[in-house]
Amino acid sequence: MAATEEQQFPLPKILTYPASAPPSLIAQGAEGRLYKTTHLESGLPCALKFRPSKPYRHPILDARLTKARIAAEAKVLDKCYREGVPVPAVYALDAATGWMMIEWVEGRPVRQGINDWLGERPTEDAPAVEEDETPFVDLMKRIGEAVGNLHRTGVIHGDLTTSNMMLKPWAPSQSSTESGDKAKVVEGDVVLIDFGLATQSSSDEDRAVDLYVLERAFASTHPRAERLFDHVLESYKHAFKKAPSVLIKLEDVRMRGRKKSMLG
Amino acid sequence: MTTTNTKTKKKRHIALGCEGSANKLGVGVIAHDAETGEATVLSNVRHTFVSPPGTGFLPKDTARHHRAYFVRVAKQALSDAGVSISEIDCICYTKGPGMGAPLTSVAAGARTLALLWGKELVGVNHCVGHIEMGRAITGASNPVVLYVSGGNTQVIAYAEQRYRIFGEALDIAVGNCLDRFARALEISNDPAPGYNIEQLAKKGGRILVDLPYAVKGMDCSFSGILTRAEEVVVQMKAGKKGPDGEAITPADMCFSLQETVFAMLVEITERAMAHVGSNQVLIVGGVGSNVRLQEMMGSMAAERGGSVYATDERFCIDNGIMIAHAGLLAYETGFRTPLEESTCTQRFRTDEVFVKWRK
Amino acid sequence: MALEVLNLEHVPATHRIYAAFFRDVNNSDFLHAQLLARNPDFDYAFIDASSVISRRHLESAIFNALVTIVDGTLLSATPHSEVVLSMSPSNNISEAYRRWGISLKTKDLIVVKVAIPPSADPTSTTQPAPQAPEEIWAHLSEAVKGTPVALSDEEISKATDWQKLRKYYALNSVPMLAKVESDEGKRKEMERLAIMRMALRGL
Repeated sequence: MAATEEQQFPLPKILTYPASAPPSLIAQGAEGRLYKTTHLESGLPCALKFRPSKPYRHPILDARLTKARIAAEAKVLDKCYREGVPVPAVYALDAATGWMMIEWVEGRPVRQGINDWLGERPTEDAPAVEEDETPFVDLMKRIGEAVGNLHRTGVIHGDLTTSNMMLKPWAPSQSSTESGDKAKVVEGDVVLIDFGLATQSSSDEDRAVDLYVLERAFASTHPRAERLFDHVLESYKHAFKKAPSVLIKLEDVRMRGRKKSMLG
Repeated sequence: MTTTNTKTKKKRHIALGCEGSANKLGVGVIAHDAETGEATVLSNVRHTFVSPPGTGFLPKDTARHHRAYFVRVAKQALSDAGVSISEIDCICYTKGPGMGAPLTSVAAGARTLALLWGKELVGVNHCVGHIEMGRAITGASNPVVLYVSGGNTQVIAYAEQRYRIFGEALDIAVGNCLDRFARALEISNDPAPGYNIEQLAKKGGRILVDLPYAVKGMDCSFSGILTRAEEVVVQMKAGKKGPDGEAITPADMCFSLQETVFAMLVEITERAMAHVGSNQVLIVGGVGSNVRLQEMMGSMAAERGGSVYATDERFCIDNGIMIAHAGLLAYETGFRTPLEESTCTQRFRTDEVFVKWRK
Repeated sequence: MALEVLNLEHVPATHRIYAAFFRDVNNSDFLHAQLLARNPDFDYAFIDASSVISRRHLESAIFNALVTIVDGTLLSATPHSEVVLSMSPSNNISEAYRRWGISLKTKDLIVVKVAIPPSADPTSTTQPAPQAPEEIWAHLSEAVKGTPVALSDEEISKATDWQKLRKYYALNSVPMLAKVESDEGKRKEMERLAIMRMALRGL
């Protein structure tokens, strides 16, 4: 969603104090806003997530929710980070006033990488030249692995989409040279971001719903790559011990989902 | 409103609608201008089955009420409308969702009228009735709709010929939560438990009793809140004190419950608005007549540079006119419900209806 | 003058932060005694450098303390005790002093001074006017018997006691560290994990 008229929103107080560069509004969602700014030094970029107070809410309830949600998100990130799940590190936070500074993840959203890759493909009805899908399939596998690691840790993301994953560029040595520039658009470590709706759970059901949300988002965002989504699930399957039973549960969730025929 | 009737080309279409999916029996007559489609309410008559305090309305008793009053209400609607039977194009009735026995009682009434007068039948989805009536009354063109009643809690947005459900209550409906809470407090069901909670809540505000807050993405859940609120009511009756050392009162409880559940509703609505990029919100359904909910929603919408649309109790609370209106919209696109298919269904999702009358 | 001005991002211009690093300090007993006696002339945060990983680690704690100072939500008695507490992953103030504060055995000492104008600190009634850095340095260089060095990662790392830090920040069996190969990379990650634990203090 376009960040509409930056000036419309008052900055969180912390961002009104002197800094080397003015903060820039990156995204504005229903729950909060995301700014790009700095932590401690001008050379340390960070993202500041701000949950403004909601005037419609009773002040006591508002304070309680703001604090609990910043705390919950920070705890989930800490847990994931320590377990080696690729998520941004937490730098600083103030739960009472509703902000959190986290690592700035370099790179582009996975959604963009996928679209760039697909953009170069011939259209479906054009007879496809035998082409190497390996770099794309590898990305699908890295996505499955990242989500698998997340679930192994006991965390449910709650809003998995290809916009909530970043492709963090590899060091030049890691980058493949033989597949050329085409492969570059889908290279990079998959880093999961935006844990605003995350919860802690290890149930098959919750994990399956999390996967189902991703599957649906993937199908609607990248319909032309839908057939390759199986690689995500295949790699997820090997990420942790209980993954196969989650995938069985996913079948049930899909059936229910179709009956409900929901969107969004 | 012009009442003159010309025998030449029809200037307007007229429908009579029958609603009885819960404890309100309603019959209404609507006219659509054949050229502009503009809707004019000709009559809107309602009779409510009120159960004693501390009890809810049971399907059997409610159905008996609807059968007993159907003829009276229909006659009144017809005479209020001032139209002759020959002018009526179709008879619309609620096909669902709702309580089985009351639904079938009213459907039987509608079928009788159709056969008696030789009119065609149109079965209507109750939720779509609320949405279309809300749009017509408020003029909101493409809003995100919050539909809140005793049986439904849904956040809806229109896309590609359907009203899509973006979020909903995962267990009981918000109105059901309020109704049952009213029973725990033994508040009167007359004119409606939710109304009496709202009035009582105005005397609260001194404290906010801590209740669970259960939002999951765009969905929410109310049963845990109800359970906790009922527990606190028991403690309150035993003399429990609030955080300020004063005894908790029923007004405090009503206030706290409203503040909590309405905040949840506003939150999921806001999330849907952000998702579809809309800044209009329309509240429909019985709970939608609550002024505090409208106020909170208005505050949220204003922050997003938009506004809230709500109707008063004539249209928010279940009524026959909304069934007539939505039915007539479908009728005008050629939709009919043949007699042998004029059944009812307790479950009938909003997104099952093909909305042919919208672009 | 080895007193550094720390210009941290997002700190009100009214709040000045100074820091100095002394190695081979031989009067920590005296300094410790001043602290216990609450001698108003020794209004500093004295931090044992063996519990510090890097400049960034230290700055994170100072920044977190500044946030509570500006909000007026101090958990401890003074801005300087808040700096010491902010080094800790828990809200236990005496434990924070034991682990990060000066002790009789402290050899390498980091001194932090947060200078707040009286008008900016409504909680204080006796706060003197903010001192000039020259004054602070004159006092410190007199009071601390040690060798002033640069407050750099290189100097700090000479003092760091990793065994203690691994315990304090629960870094001994963190799965993510097993994935990092180089020692340098491990140190960098341990610094981050420590900063995270400090940020999440009390949650």
